[in-house]
Amino acid sequence: MREPRLLTAVRHLVLLLFVGIAVYPVLNVLSISLRPGNRLRSTDLSLIPDNATIASYVQLFTEQPFLTWLGNSLLVSVLVTLTGVVLASVGGYAFSRFRFVGREFSMLAILTTQMFPATMLLLPLYILIAKLHLVNTFIGLMIFYTATALPFCVWQMKGFYDTIPPSLEEAARIDGCSRFQAFRLVILPLALPGLVITALFSFMTAWSEYIVAAQVLQEREMFTLPLGLKSFQASMSTEWGLYAAASILVSIPVVIVFVSLSRYLVSGLTLGSVKE
Amino acid sequence: MSFLRLSDLDKVYPNGFRAVNQANLEIREGEFVVLVGPSGCGKTTTLRMIAGLEEISEGSIEIDGTVVNEMAPADRDIAMVFQNYALYPHMSNRENLAFGLKLRRMPKDEIERRITEAARSLSIEHLLDRRPRELSGGQRQRIALGRAIVRDPKVFLFDEPLSNLDAKLRVQMRTEIARLHKRLKTTMVYVTHDQVEAMTLGDRIVVMKDGVIQQVDSPMNLYDSPVNRFVAGFIGSPAMNFFEGSLVRGRFSCEGIACPADESLPEGPAVLGIRPEDLQVQPGGACLGEAELEVVEHMGHETMAYFRLGTQTGVARLSADFPGRPGEAVTLYARSSSWHFFAPGEGGARLLTEETKTTGNAEA
Amino acid sequence: MKRLFLFSLLLLAACSPRESDRMVTIWHQMTPAERVILDDQIALFEHAHPGIQVRALYKETEELRSGFQAAALAGTGPELIYGPSDVLGSFQTMGIVQDMSPWFDESRQEEFLPQALTRLPSNNDPASKELLQVGDRIGNHLALVINRNLLQETPQTTEDLVRLAVEQTRDEDGDGRRERYGLVWNFVEPFFVIPFLTGHGSWIFTDEEGSTTPALDTPEAVAAYELVLSLQNEHKVIPANCDYETADALFKNGQAAMIINGDWSWGDYLANAEIDAEVVPLPVVASTGIPMGPMVATKGYSLNINAKEEQAGKAMELVRFLTSAEVQRVYMWSLKTLPSRKELLDDPLLQEDPTLKASAIQMANGRAMPVVAELRAIWDSMRPSYQALLGGSITAAEAAAKMQRDAVDSIRKMNQKLEPGLGATLIKGLGGLLLALGLFWALRSLHHMIKDWKHNRLAYVFILPSLLVLLLTIVFPFVYNVILSLSNMSLKHFQDWQVIGFQNYIEVFREAVFFSVLFKTVIWTAVNLVFHVGLGLLLAVMLNGPVVGKSIYRVLLIIPWAVPAYITALTWRGMFDYEYGAINLIASQYLNMPMVNWLGSPFEAFLACILTNIWLGFPFMMVIALGGMQGIPQELYEAARVDGASRGRQFFSITLPLLKPVLLPAVTLGAIWTFNNLNVVWLVSNGGEPSDQTHILVSYVYKAVFNLYRYGYGAALSMVIFFLLAIFSIGFLKKGRATQSVYG
Repeated sequence: MREPRLLTAVRHLVLLLFVGIAVYPVLNVLSISLRPGNRLRSTDLSLIPDNATIASYVQLFTEQPFLTWLGNSLLVSVLVTLTGVVLASVGGYAFSRFRFVGREFSMLAILTTQMFPATMLLLPLYILIAKLHLVNTFIGLMIFYTATALPFCVWQMKGFYDTIPPSLEEAARIDGCSRFQAFRLVILPLALPGLVITALFSFMTAWSEYIVAAQVLQEREMFTLPLGLKSFQASMSTEWGLYAAASILVSIPVVIVFVSLSRYLVSGLTLGSVKE
Repeated sequence: MSFLRLSDLDKVYPNGFRAVNQANLEIREGEFVVLVGPSGCGKTTTLRMIAGLEEISEGSIEIDGTVVNEMAPADRDIAMVFQNYALYPHMSNRENLAFGLKLRRMPKDEIERRITEAARSLSIEHLLDRRPRELSGGQRQRIALGRAIVRDPKVFLFDEPLSNLDAKLRVQMRTEIARLHKRLKTTMVYVTHDQVEAMTLGDRIVVMKDGVIQQVDSPMNLYDSPVNRFVAGFIGSPAMNFFEGSLVRGRFSCEGIACPADESLPEGPAVLGIRPEDLQVQPGGACLGEAELEVVEHMGHETMAYFRLGTQTGVARLSADFPGRPGEAVTLYARSSSWHFFAPGEGGARLLTEETKTTGNAEA
Repeated sequence: MKRLFLFSLLLLAACSPRESDRMVTIWHQMTPAERVILDDQIALFEHAHPGIQVRALYKETEELRSGFQAAALAGTGPELIYGPSDVLGSFQTMGIVQDMSPWFDESRQEEFLPQALTRLPSNNDPASKELLQVGDRIGNHLALVINRNLLQETPQTTEDLVRLAVEQTRDEDGDGRRERYGLVWNFVEPFFVIPFLTGHGSWIFTDEEGSTTPALDTPEAVAAYELVLSLQNEHKVIPANCDYETADALFKNGQAAMIINGDWSWGDYLANAEIDAEVVPLPVVASTGIPMGPMVATKGYSLNINAKEEQAGKAMELVRFLTSAEVQRVYMWSLKTLPSRKELLDDPLLQEDPTLKASAIQMANGRAMPVVAELRAIWDSMRPSYQALLGGSITAAEAAAKMQRDAVDSIRKMNQKLEPGLGATLIKGLGGLLLALGLFWALRSLHHMIKDWKHNRLAYVFILPSLLVLLLTIVFPFVYNVILSLSNMSLKHFQDWQVIGFQNYIEVFREAVFFSVLFKTVIWTAVNLVFHVGLGLLLAVMLNGPVVGKSIYRVLLIIPWAVPAYITALTWRGMFDYEYGAINLIASQYLNMPMVNWLGSPFEAFLACILTNIWLGFPFMMVIALGGMQGIPQELYEAARVDGASRGRQFFSITLPLLKPVLLPAVTLGAIWTFNNLNVVWLVSNGGEPSDQTHILVSYVYKAVFNLYRYGYGAALSMVIFFLLAIFSIGFLKKGRATQSVYG
């Protein structure tokens, strides 16, 4: 069915307005990255500054271990995303479909892990990481990131499975699937939008975190991108140009990940399977 | 020798709710058995226990001589058709049909052969390469049937397969399923809350209520001699009329009704049940009494007359040319052979005469 | 699946730890320009000492402090830390730095200027002093920088300063917006007001040697504040709410004739071709005849208490090298820093270079930064009242009085030594009981699980890895915090803390400010959440239809989520600037609305934080809602349309209910995250500005813990936050029946 013209116009108006709001501050960051002379603030509003220069970008690649950081970040984030998606997809499924002992307790317990102010966790966390000899390793970091992203991911996946009728896997089980096969062959493909969100979220959690990374990683060559970013910063003598340029570059992989994943955010996967 | 046997089957949910209570049922090979009853009566739970989707709390289920209590659904060699079709939305219809066969590692050409055959018999060949979402409700249910047929299972299970279809399609699909059973001669267990489906499809019907099997019988026996007031009321449309009164010395009487009854019936409070089709306005049989017409519905081929007899109400199925109007009084007669007497209460047992006692025994 | 797993194993193997005994680690907080030299010098050192490898790691001031504290407590950490001497007071009290004199004998010490070596009384023997820092430079001080393109005269007195600043402040086109300002600096920060205080004859502590008694409420201080205030209100030579970045940008743009800034910034100004910068000493205060004297700090190296024998020896070898005359000379020549060695005072550069000359004069006028933990309490107490003063809500006299009161109070809290009370024994008993109960409960659950194993085997297998990961990372920190919240861990009991009872909890609820901050936090959470979900849903609905360019919109709309929040939050802070921020400019120029002093007043600043956080958070909810909407069968809408339901009706009766299972966890967790979101408030309001009025509970905790070292108190407050959130979200989820499935 076609929409009335007016409605289409309203749609585009609203979307354009918010695109403007979403993009403007980031254009500002872009403008800082092109500004000569290391300035955060500017007194004029133009987005392309006078004497715009890409020196900061050049410097990032030539004088800074930007590519190493990028590699580290990708390694950590991709592994966290993989473990996050695997753990959350099975964990969420158990919560959605099984009534086992301790189910409600575990669900709430998982949630409560998010309720503690992170700043207070740093001290004990560092002690823990030190005792486990995980200082300056990616494993310590990845365990922590996975743990950070997991509660949301598990709950999110549980929510998604809840919207998939159980009769589908019952049909599969009667057709000859084991419970695990029914999950993997029938339910998992249908939970794709949920998996996409879970993946995106895990990726973002690992990609943008720096507070814990600063505690764990002790070598410039081991830095992840956000930590590298932070090193351009110093109280009252931050290299804003580099910082902004790196921020812009840091967000590009996120956009790529989103674009490649959003193909799976497609409509109507569960459509037509059942009549509600 | 029974093919599918439920013995002392119980289902108790963790919250203490007893969904199925001491169900015993024996089904012969090739038989079409319908489980019927109001919602929440335990019929679906029973079916799901047969399928292996629901754990058995107590008792046992045997299929073809094997106790399947602990067996996974996959290993029971059954097929099931769901109320909401439960087609795999991410697969084409052909893949839906092939899924179960592939899991059993059947050779490709055998899969192809079975799909072609099933598709032909259900006239769904042209739908095979589409996705389920591109089909209408009736077409989807055909695919779901096809998915069950290709499996060639020992037992077919149907869980209210027609309740999502509109009235016309439902009739059409019903005959299709009946034809299917005739052709395949496979054991089928069919759950419905619709007594018309039950009566038309079943070789035997199992009426359940509150987790308890009330009666297992052929459709005609169920209709003619329901074991209690619940079964009597559930089977037949419109439902049987019930009048509460008492039996004294071979007569049943209540306000507005006084009629003779078999003397061998026990005396005391009782309920008289008469099917609407057994009532007539032409003199004949026993006279029930003077009734006041409340609503008269002309259906074309027949007329439903809702009436009041004293304080109690009822309905009579009369011929199309019945001239009565609401407010008029008519004298109602009943064919005496079709009278049923029940003990008082919602589920009161059928009161037996000497004669029916013996036939009842013979039946069991 | 299997291939994936193998792949991950391979990757895991690639990230094995790298540790070595030959390694000496330094955590420093050098500016980027200083780091370049440090790296060069380290390379030279490693070349000369093949047995030693050096790893230098930059840490931001706060990170270095809290990170070093944590590491030292865990028995590890870098051998050396480098930074200003002010933190040493607290490090010594905590006992996490060690005496360097065994490696740095008297004769060696003689080579340094006396203020270059930080010596503090020993913890064991207060009569003897320990050498805790060897400075390699002296400075960190403020001076005046003049753009000679605009102004030739050098102000000698504050009267000159005001006169020249007024002259230089120009509004050439008469639109009420000034194109040029006379004098700018980081106006909102108390550190920059110190020269005015000293110039008026005031100081932050009382005058005795080593005093830690605040002396903030003096007539001289009031006079100093009045002078500062007049620059903003009467003479209008500085933009309202001028912060560091604004001042810096104005001066670099040639839009400010003079700037007061520290030695770290001068190199940048001198190198800038668009301005002709010259560093001159700060003028003399006209009314007193005293030159304005900035705080002067030594920067240098300190040794971790955990650095043992051989490692410490290697580290000290490095310290000797990095504080040597050759290295200091390199710093001096390239960065114009003032050396800490006596021999370098005769260096020709020091006599010739105008910047170094001015710097030396300025330093001579300055006052040494006190090396005491109490200094932090002073800054924290000055900031709110000073900003309230600038904002016009209190007078100079009131501000001074309040600073004094707050400082006394903060120092008392910081130095509080809580001793075990009756509660302690009770807790130990209760703890044992709880442990026993917990164990019993766990065993019983285990028993049930074993019985249930047969039925739900797959569920247990599926859930186990997630639970293990969470247990591993959460349980220890959580238990640690529970114990900490019952303990007296603080500055005075950093290593030797013990369980004392419920004092910290009593303290939490006794402080009136807790409830007002809680109220603000609730508002913050509610408003943010409403807008996150509202906007997220709105945009998801807009995107979910047949829109041309859908994928482009979708990508552009997630950008606020994609770009690191740290920089975008700071960008927003810039956009809220009173005079130069985009928001006020757009509002006043295009929409004809009045300008709003966003960051200068409490309510507006809080609003600014909320707006920023809404911007940061809506894309996430949008993505969630978009994902959820994919699961809703289109037929339902078709059916609704046939029934004649309007679009609004369809949204509320189909979309929303069916989104519930997907949206509920996101909303619950969103609420929790927002409640505990430290970053945005901290960055946009610059740590609670103005006047500590923009705090939410977590930033309040952060401040209590990291500024006043009140670990026990902070842990107790965190537990309170935890319980508040737990009660809220469990209630919310139970009501939403979130643990139940839609299908039963």
